[in-house]
Amino acid sequence: MTVRYFEDVSVDEELEPHEELPTEDKAIDFFGRNNPMNPAFADAEMGKKQGFGGALVPGVLKMAWITHYVNEWAGHEATVKSVRVAFRRPDVAGKPLVIAGRVVDKRQEEGENIVELECVTLADGQPSVRANVQVAMPSRNA
Amino acid sequence: MTEPEESLITDEHRAAIGVKSELAPFVLREEDVRRMRDMLGDKDPRYADGTGIAPPYVLSGLRSRPDRNIVPQVLPRGILTQLEWRFFKPLRIGSELKAVASVIDIRDRLGGRYGYSVLVMSQTEYLDEDGEVVAASIQTGTQFDPEMSRS
Repeated sequence: MTVRYFEDVSVDEELEPHEELPTEDKAIDFFGRNNPMNPAFADAEMGKKQGFGGALVPGVLKMAWITHYVNEWAGHEATVKSVRVAFRRPDVAGKPLVIAGRVVDKRQEEGENIVELECVTLADGQPSVRANVQVAMPSRNA
Repeated sequence: MTEPEESLITDEHRAAIGVKSELAPFVLREEDVRRMRDMLGDKDPRYADGTGIAPPYVLSGLRSRPDRNIVPQVLPRGILTQLEWRFFKPLRIGSELKAVASVIDIRDRLGGRYGYSVLVMSQTEYLDEDGEVVAASIQTGTQFDPEMSRS
């Protein structure tokens, strides 16, 4: 993991897309085996009964993937300040998700160097999650 | 497919708006943080074993969700449709956090994937041992009835 500086970031810069394969086991690992969760996350039949066509991928897991994706890009001296996510359609376990992102703004705000990104998860090429992430980044001049 | 002619949101449901939940305490446990970090493949040295700091996303996976107890159930099924997290301070492993939630808004939605549905917006604040807010979230859940769903 490297350090990325505010001055080196350009608006419209695109992040390298990243693929994740959601599974029922990953959902269980995320929440913990002994923690209560929606049974549709771990059981395809239950997901179908709830109208999702299979085991439902937890929204908070997708948000965690997006947060991690941006954090990996921004480097270990950057701090994720906020993540805003809209879940556009349910995702089903077993179908790969491609996470992509683009820098949409950079600015100085209350003494911090803020970079704003828009991210998306794509399932079968269709967006299932849209996200706005704000990161405070280090400066070369600090 | 049938849709109600009137809102199914009652005054009793609306009475939940603005009411704060009880404080729900929980400890940020090392094993939970490690499990989530490993599952995501997070190699950020700031969050490695021994640093005592947890990555921000761990809060979303923890099961301390006081909003679950205060959100009125208007329709039988629910799905998370919007979520916003803001992080104010580093999350310290082993510290006891307290979560407090309240319902912000309840409204009907007509049309769309689920047919008639109900949107419930709630917020949750996470306080540290000094009572300072370390993180906050706003979530919107869509409640629906599969019998009324369009798909």
